Amino acid sequence: MSLVVGAGWLAPSAASAQPGDAGTGKAVYELKCALCHGSKGDGKGAAADLLDPRPRDFTTGVYKIRSTATKAPSDQDLFRIITVGMPGTSMPGWDVLSERDRWNLVAYIKTFAADAFKEAPKKLDLPKEVGSSEASIARGKEMYEAIECNKCHGNQGRADGPSRPELKDDWGFPIAPANLAKRWTFRGGAERSEIAMRIAGGLLGTPMPSFIDSVEKPEDIWHLTNYIASLGPEKVAYSTLVTVNGVNGEIPDDPNGEFWSKIGPSTIPLMGQVIIDPRNFNPAIDVVFVRAVYNETEIAFHLTWDDPSQSVPDAAKKLFADAVALQFPTKFVAGTERPYFLMGDGSDPVYLLRWEGGKAVEAVANGVGQVKALEGGEVVSKTVYQDGQYRVVIKRPLAGKGEERPTFQPSTFVPVAFQAWDGGAGESGARMSLTSWYYLRLEPPQSSRRFVVPPVVALLTLVAMLLIVRAASRGRRRSS
Amino acid sequence: MRKAIAGLAVVALVATAGWVAFPRAVDAQGGGTVEVEVKYNGPAQVETIKVNKDTEQCGKEAKLEKVVVGGNKGLANAVASIVGAKGQPTGKKAVMDQKGCKFIPHVVATTPGEVDILNSDGILHNVHTYSTANPAINKAQPKFKKVMTEKFEKPEFIKVTCDVHSWMLGWIAVMPHPYFGVTNESGVAKIENAPAGKQKVEVWHETLGKVTKDVDVKPGATTKVTIEMVKK
Repeated sequence: MSLVVGAGWLAPSAASAQPGDAGTGKAVYELKCALCHGSKGDGKGAAADLLDPRPRDFTTGVYKIRSTATKAPSDQDLFRIITVGMPGTSMPGWDVLSERDRWNLVAYIKTFAADAFKEAPKKLDLPKEVGSSEASIARGKEMYEAIECNKCHGNQGRADGPSRPELKDDWGFPIAPANLAKRWTFRGGAERSEIAMRIAGGLLGTPMPSFIDSVEKPEDIWHLTNYIASLGPEKVAYSTLVTVNGVNGEIPDDPNGEFWSKIGPSTIPLMGQVIIDPRNFNPAIDVVFVRAVYNETEIAFHLTWDDPSQSVPDAAKKLFADAVALQFPTKFVAGTERPYFLMGDGSDPVYLLRWEGGKAVEAVANGVGQVKALEGGEVVSKTVYQDGQYRVVIKRPLAGKGEERPTFQPSTFVPVAFQAWDGGAGESGARMSLTSWYYLRLEPPQSSRRFVVPPVVALLTLVAMLLIVRAASRGRRRSS
Repeated sequence: MRKAIAGLAVVALVATAGWVAFPRAVDAQGGGTVEVEVKYNGPAQVETIKVNKDTEQCGKEAKLEKVVVGGNKGLANAVASIVGAKGQPTGKKAVMDQKGCKFIPHVVATTPGEVDILNSDGILHNVHTYSTANPAINKAQPKFKKVMTEKFEKPEFIKVTCDVHSWMLGWIAVMPHPYFGVTNESGVAKIENAPAGKQKVEVWHETLGKVTKDVDVKPGATTKVTIEMVKK
C-alpha cells in the first residue's frame, strides 16, 4: 500500500521532476500565462478581475495544491497542475505544451518566490491506506461530524455550512468551500489519494486547515476520504436528452417522494450567460438534475440543484430570489428551426415555465428583458430546500391554453433549454447560468399490454415449434 | 554509539554549566522595572457581529476588538519592549486559549519557543497564522484536541485567526528578548528587570502601529514612562 502512495507522489504522467530552464520558461509564460497571472507573477493579469477564483499570485510562494509537509509544493505538484489544470476554476490543463515547456514553466514560476523554494520540499506522508468499505464510510461520517467539517462544507457536503459566508482567502477575497458532492470540481483532483492529501495537508492560503494531526487516529484521514468519495461520483456524465416517461395515474408532487428517486436523472450542465450585459463569468449554478414524466393529462418536471442558501430578496444587499426556468418554443413545429436560445427574440418568442422563490409561473419572452407573465394558467409547484439543495416539482396540463402555451404530445421530441439563478450570489435577469437547446423525448405510454403480449407470443411460438417437431418426427417414421 | 552518547552528554553538561554560570548580563548590572503607560486619544474600535453558529459557546454576539481603550484613555493589548536589548529566551511556554470563541489573551507575548494553544470551547477551531519569518500554519483543532503545541522561533508579530469563527483575532508577539510587557485594560505594561541605563521603549499595537520613546532605566527601581499612540 505504501508503494501505491509512493507512486502517487510521482504520479503526474509518471514524469519525474526534470530541471527546467527558467529563461526558456519565461518566454512561454509571457505568451500563455501572463494574461491571467500577470507578467510579474502577482496574479494581476488583465483578465484577473473577471475570474473567481482569482489567478494565483506566484510572488508569495503559497500554493493550494501540494503534497508536501513544507510550505512550498514539490516541482511535480506544480507540473501536475500546469498539465491537468484546476477543475472548477479558469485554469485549463496545458498538456498542449510539450513536457519540456511545462518543466521550464515550473522553473520560471518558482523564480517569482525564490525564497519560498529555498527549503527543499518534504513529502507529506499519509497514513497507511484504508480501502473503501461500508464500515470505513460509516467511520468517516462519524469523523466528519466529530471534526465538524460541516461548519464550512455543510451536513451533506454541499458547501452550505454556517461559516461559508465569512470565508476569505489569505488575500482577503471571499472564497467558497468545496462542494464535496461534486468531486469533479475538486481543485487538486478527484482521486482518493488526492482527497486524502488535501485533508491531511490542507489548502494553503485558504481557510482549509491541515488535519493530519487533528483526527482521532491517523487512519481516520482515509475513512474521511472514503466518506467524502461516497458523497458523489468521481466524474460527471452529462446527458444529451431528457427522457419523459409516460405513467398511469396521478403524479406525486412531493419532491422527496420515492416515486422521483426511482427515476434516473438527466444531468444538464449550465454555463454563465456571457452574451449580453450584465455578463455572468462565474455562474453559481453549474448543473441541474432533471427528471420528468407525463400521464393522460399532465406533464411534471422534477429539478434538483445545489444552492448554498435559500435567499431572501433584498435589493439593498443585491440579493434576489433563487430561480430556475424551463424554456420551450411556444409552438412545437417539425424541423430544426427553434427560437433564439437566449429567451427568444422579437419575431420568435419562447414559453417559460419559471419557478421563483418557491412559486411557479408561466411567461412568454421575446428576449431577456422582454418577459411577460401569462395569466390564467394551471401550473403548480412544490419545493423542498434542505442541506444546500433545492428539489422542485413543477406540473402543468399537457394541453396548452391559447396561442402562447405549447401543447405536449406523446412520442415527440420537444426542444427545451434550462436557466438558473442563485439570487444569494447576486444573480438576476441576464446574470444567470443557462444551456442552449436540449431535447425532451416523450416516450409513448407504457400500457399493461407489454405484460400480456410477449408471454402470449412466446407461448404461441412454443406451440408452433412443438407442432413442427411432431410433424417432422412423424414424417421420418413414415419414411423409415 | 556509546561514544556519541557520552559526547552528547558532555556537550549538554557544558551547555547547562554555561547557562548557570553566566546569568543574564543585565542581572549582573542590576536591572530596573519600567512601567509603561500607553495612552490613546482616539475612540475605541470594537465591532459587534451577530453569531450564526455555536451560540452556546460563542454567545449571540461577538466582538471584533481592533482598538480597546480603557479608563483614563489607557490603550489595552499593546506590547511594550526595550529596543535592541539582548537576553535569553525565558524558556517558559506561553499559553493562548480559545474560550468563548475568543483568543485569550488577545495578545500573547513570548520569547522564541513553544506556545500551547488550548481549545477550552470544545468545538472546532482552526489556528491560522499569518507570518512571514515563521512558517505560516493553518491547523484544525477539533473538539477532542485540547492542546496544540506550536513552535515560533523567529521574532515577529503574528496574526492568528480562526476561519470557522471569522471574528476571532489574536496575536502572538514573539520577542527577541525577555524585556517586554503587554498593556492591561488600563493601558499599563510592566517590563521587569530591564537593562539599566539609557534605553528606547517601543510600543506596538496591532492597529495603531509602532511608537518609541527614550527612557532612563534606574537599577533596582521603577521608572515610569507615558507613551501616546495616535490615530493612523
